[in-house]
Amino acid sequence: MTAGDRHDVIVVGAGLAGSLVAKHLGDRGRRVLVLEAGTRTLDTWPGHLDALNTYYAALAKVPNAPYRPNAAAPSPDVLDLEGLPSGGYRAHGYFLQDGPLPYASDYLRACGGTTLHWMGLVPRMHPDDFAVRADYGYGRDWPLGYADLEPHYRAAEHALGAAGDADEQREAIGLPFPPGYAYPMRAIPRSHLDRLLAARLDGVPLRETPDGPGTVLRVVTTPHARNGTPDPRHDHYRPAGATGLPNYGERCVGNASCVPICPVQAKYDARKTQAAWSHRVTLRARAVVNRVLVAGDGRVLGVEYQRYDDPAAPAHTTRTAEADVVVLAAHAVENARLLLLSGLANSSDQVGRNLMDHPTLLTWGLLNRPVGPFRGPGSTSGLECFRTGPARRARAPFRVEIANWGWSWPTGAPASDVARLLGIGAEPGAPRGAGLFGTALRETLGHEVGRQLCLQFAMEQDAESRNRVTLDPRHRDALGNPRPVLTYDLSEHVKRGIAAARAVSARLFALLGADDRTAYAPGPAAPGWYRFEGRDYVFQGAGHAAGTHVMGDSPATSVVDPWQRCWDHPNLYAVGCGSMPSVGTSNPSLTMAALALRSAEAVDRDLAELRRPLVVRQPGGSS
Amino acid sequence: MDTQHPATTAHEPPGAPPECAGFVELSVRLTGFDEFDLRGTGMVRLYHDTTLEQLGRAAVGRFLDDLAAAGGDPGALADEVSRDIARAITHLWYLGVWPSLARATHAALGRGTPNTAFVVSPEAWTEGLAWRTFHGHPPGARPPGFGTWADPPPGTPDRAAGDVA
Amino acid sequence: MTAAAPLRAVLPEPPFRVPRDRADLQMFLQAALTLEHLTIPPYLTAMHTLRAGTNRPAFFVIRSVVLEEMLHMTLVANLLNAVGGRPLVAHSRFVSAYPARLPFSRDDVTVALRHFGVEALETFLAVERPAYVAEPPGHPSVREDDGWTSVGQFYRTIREGVLRLADRLGERELFRGDPARQVGPGDFYNSGGEVFPVTDLASALTALRVITEQGEGADRTVFDSDDRLFGEARQPAHYFRFEEILRQRSYGPHDTPATGPSGPALAVTWHDVHPIDPAARAADYPPGGEVRRAADRFDDVYALLLCVLERAFTGDPGALRRTVPTMLELRDLAGWLCRNPHPDPEKRARGLFASPTYEITDSRLARARSEPAG
Repeated sequence: MTAGDRHDVIVVGAGLAGSLVAKHLGDRGRRVLVLEAGTRTLDTWPGHLDALNTYYAALAKVPNAPYRPNAAAPSPDVLDLEGLPSGGYRAHGYFLQDGPLPYASDYLRACGGTTLHWMGLVPRMHPDDFAVRADYGYGRDWPLGYADLEPHYRAAEHALGAAGDADEQREAIGLPFPPGYAYPMRAIPRSHLDRLLAARLDGVPLRETPDGPGTVLRVVTTPHARNGTPDPRHDHYRPAGATGLPNYGERCVGNASCVPICPVQAKYDARKTQAAWSHRVTLRARAVVNRVLVAGDGRVLGVEYQRYDDPAAPAHTTRTAEADVVVLAAHAVENARLLLLSGLANSSDQVGRNLMDHPTLLTWGLLNRPVGPFRGPGSTSGLECFRTGPARRARAPFRVEIANWGWSWPTGAPASDVARLLGIGAEPGAPRGAGLFGTALRETLGHEVGRQLCLQFAMEQDAESRNRVTLDPRHRDALGNPRPVLTYDLSEHVKRGIAAARAVSARLFALLGADDRTAYAPGPAAPGWYRFEGRDYVFQGAGHAAGTHVMGDSPATSVVDPWQRCWDHPNLYAVGCGSMPSVGTSNPSLTMAALALRSAEAVDRDLAELRRPLVVRQPGGSS
Repeated sequence: MDTQHPATTAHEPPGAPPECAGFVELSVRLTGFDEFDLRGTGMVRLYHDTTLEQLGRAAVGRFLDDLAAAGGDPGALADEVSRDIARAITHLWYLGVWPSLARATHAALGRGTPNTAFVVSPEAWTEGLAWRTFHGHPPGARPPGFGTWADPPPGTPDRAAGDVA
Repeated sequence: MTAAAPLRAVLPEPPFRVPRDRADLQMFLQAALTLEHLTIPPYLTAMHTLRAGTNRPAFFVIRSVVLEEMLHMTLVANLLNAVGGRPLVAHSRFVSAYPARLPFSRDDVTVALRHFGVEALETFLAVERPAYVAEPPGHPSVREDDGWTSVGQFYRTIREGVLRLADRLGERELFRGDPARQVGPGDFYNSGGEVFPVTDLASALTALRVITEQGEGADRTVFDSDDRLFGEARQPAHYFRFEEILRQRSYGPHDTPATGPSGPALAVTWHDVHPIDPAARAADYPPGGEVRRAADRFDDVYALLLCVLERAFTGDPGALRRTVPTMLELRDLAGWLCRNPHPDPEKRARGLFASPTYEITDSRLARARSEPAG
């Protein structure tokens, strides 16, 4: 260890949470070393264009399609899962899986992290979401509430450049905002499809079951971390441009590819925060941290990391770096993996447990008129009325996203439609249909795809200790580190939520006059298939891993304290969605960002405390 | 379909037909898009060459004969191999992807290449015709501009009444 | 290239003097607005003739310049509105026929719609060439001149006029235009600066500074002043950005106009273009044909773009957002045209492709004006 490798803070992971923590501390004069396992090729404009070309040339346009594989820091991919013909699944790739159902989400290990391929939706959590155990009898409670987090929500919305309508969020969902609050940018315009749905659904009462609780439907605009029109009420916010090319990256032009890549970088990603880091923040990429170093008194000294040059070659050198505070911000699964590898922070036996996602049910159908699919951001509005309420006791709550991209998620449209109309089936050995050609093909395709409607029901998943990340030393990655083992299932509570969502969807389609084409069956593309109460379902992963270093108010039952500080190690923080005891129904990145900014303040206070000169007070003297 | 590569496209004898005229003509019949649309993609030469590479001259020749015998109507193609070739070329135009052929077609042609689907080039994806059938654009390319997703799609009754974001 | 003598449109130049009163200044600013637009069709044509997926560095350079020209147009319109004028955009007099003679220039520079290549870039250099010595009319150093010598001199003259009139009329009186007509940053940012309202002498001078320094560089350096004016990365001014492409080498941070670019190489593949006829007219394309229909449609959409721009500049600033979808439709139409072989067999044999011809007539504008915004 060299003297030069001593820092105030080491941040592990250059994704959303780590980049925000590093920015906050660097701006306050702290010397920060950020260690990123992946590469930073995408920081450059040629790297960005290469990712775009890789995406264009990829046969399966999955979230990680634009980003080149990295054997030294592998990432899970949604293509790793294969459904079996009569149910069940097989897992290939980075994750090992041994649960009844597959953990079906991916993430990305690269500079910028999963924000490179995220959708960029930034709804806040509902105040009810923080006490689900106390109020609704399931899952785990937060040691803090909405009011504690509210100022940091605002800070996060500023940092990410969120576009939204606070008045609508307050009125339609019941989210508290300070009076007069305006998002940095005005709400992203609703899609034509949103407007069609609003015209038919707004104000309509709906009951899930004849004797069940009722709600009133309303299509509500979703907040985005996406460049739109700055709101002058928000102190003349100046949107952040693209990284890698000066003076580029204006507002969203509707590329309709937020997942997996925004060609103009109108969507926020962590590279924008990194571009604004002070010179006190040092980024070291291709540095895989595999051990947190700890002293006998429980204080951490620094980290050990593996530096590699060639992502394809299993060769590296091992180095160490020291700091007063270490912040793990490597993703929920990777944070847990690193704590388990280091044998740290686990006196509660909760490290790796409580793994959550937003298990998502897709339903799809055809409207009776063109809806203009495959335009604009992936979703611009949703139905928020199933997010909370008494029904929550009986079944998981959910948020309904109106999908702007047709049936692309459930069926792979429109490519699957082209193949089908040409008579090309999924099975190359099977005889092919006659097929349509010429004008008939063109008109039929346009007529069908142009009316595609898809709804996405994102369930809150309750924390369960059996859903967990462990390590298997028999299976290692290219650098010799044990690969994560995922053990995952859906609770009865979630399955009842999914069944309720299916019923709600049927009612919505009936109200819309839509031809419901939803069908669930086991098969290669349906690893998330299961049966519940005599019906088939297929759930999807949302990429929202959480819970693996859960936050609580007691060292006996949780991994981190309300500041995301490990109970067992006073100068080790684990930040990210892994700290969340419950995930509500909101896309979690904004909440993660708010938590990260709140923790950055705590780290700064810790450092100030460490550096406070010792004052020897005279007895009886004035203070 | 011409099967000769001109050394360069820039200097053809006066009066020569445009590049790959035969391929474009049959592609018009397969896709339902006109010559201007097909040439506008800039993909004519690449798709012509890809088709020849994937199928070989002999198979393409038989396909052309079959299509002529069917009166130029791909829907009337009787031979299953030729029909599968028609599917493949159309698939290529609509998605920029050369598809897997039917296993029987693959065997009948005695192809030496693997029977796997592939995107012909990054630009091929961005020039797919499928998106135009419903007034869309390929994701990640040809974006229509901020707020355009709020407008009704062209050619719908909602269009005239649509407000502007 | 063709037998017919090339058409040479000439934009009207204001007299060679410092603007004397408000009306004079408005006339100068309208000429500036027209001049800023003159360069946009040639730049767009160079962009649209690049083969898809090739020459990306050159593509992004030209794109960045086009966006800054749009910024300049909008700033000039703001300035013209600020001094009580009414920008004229949707008018055939606003759009030059091409090839055109570059106004305000001592040299005889022809501005044509050419495909990307050396010839086009040399024209762009002539348009953007810095003019360090040209003082406004009346200055002892230009006593011998009887006409404009450079675009830079023309802008310097406008600046001098603004200063004198602000002094004579008083700042508040000079800038008495309706502030509601000013276009703000909400709809234009991150593209080599942002639009800002012009309401007083300081903002007027900043607007003129943006226009001249982005074009020819600040303080006789290679670089513009985006860092100081907008907190963005500074970049080489337009002249030097085009020179980078032509010389296939970037400017380094310590390079000067005298040293030329000595930074990293910039790859250009000159053959990855669709060559076009710089004298093309829509009438060259057979009536009823697909190419002709597309060329006509292009001109219709361009006319619509000008109408939307005029609306944005004359009381409805929010209309500016509608220009982007229109520009993007033009991008598609131009791309399709430029990949279609020229319908004329003789031109096709020479490897020429069709192209947009920018024939924006008053009847076309009248039709566009009656269309709804979308």
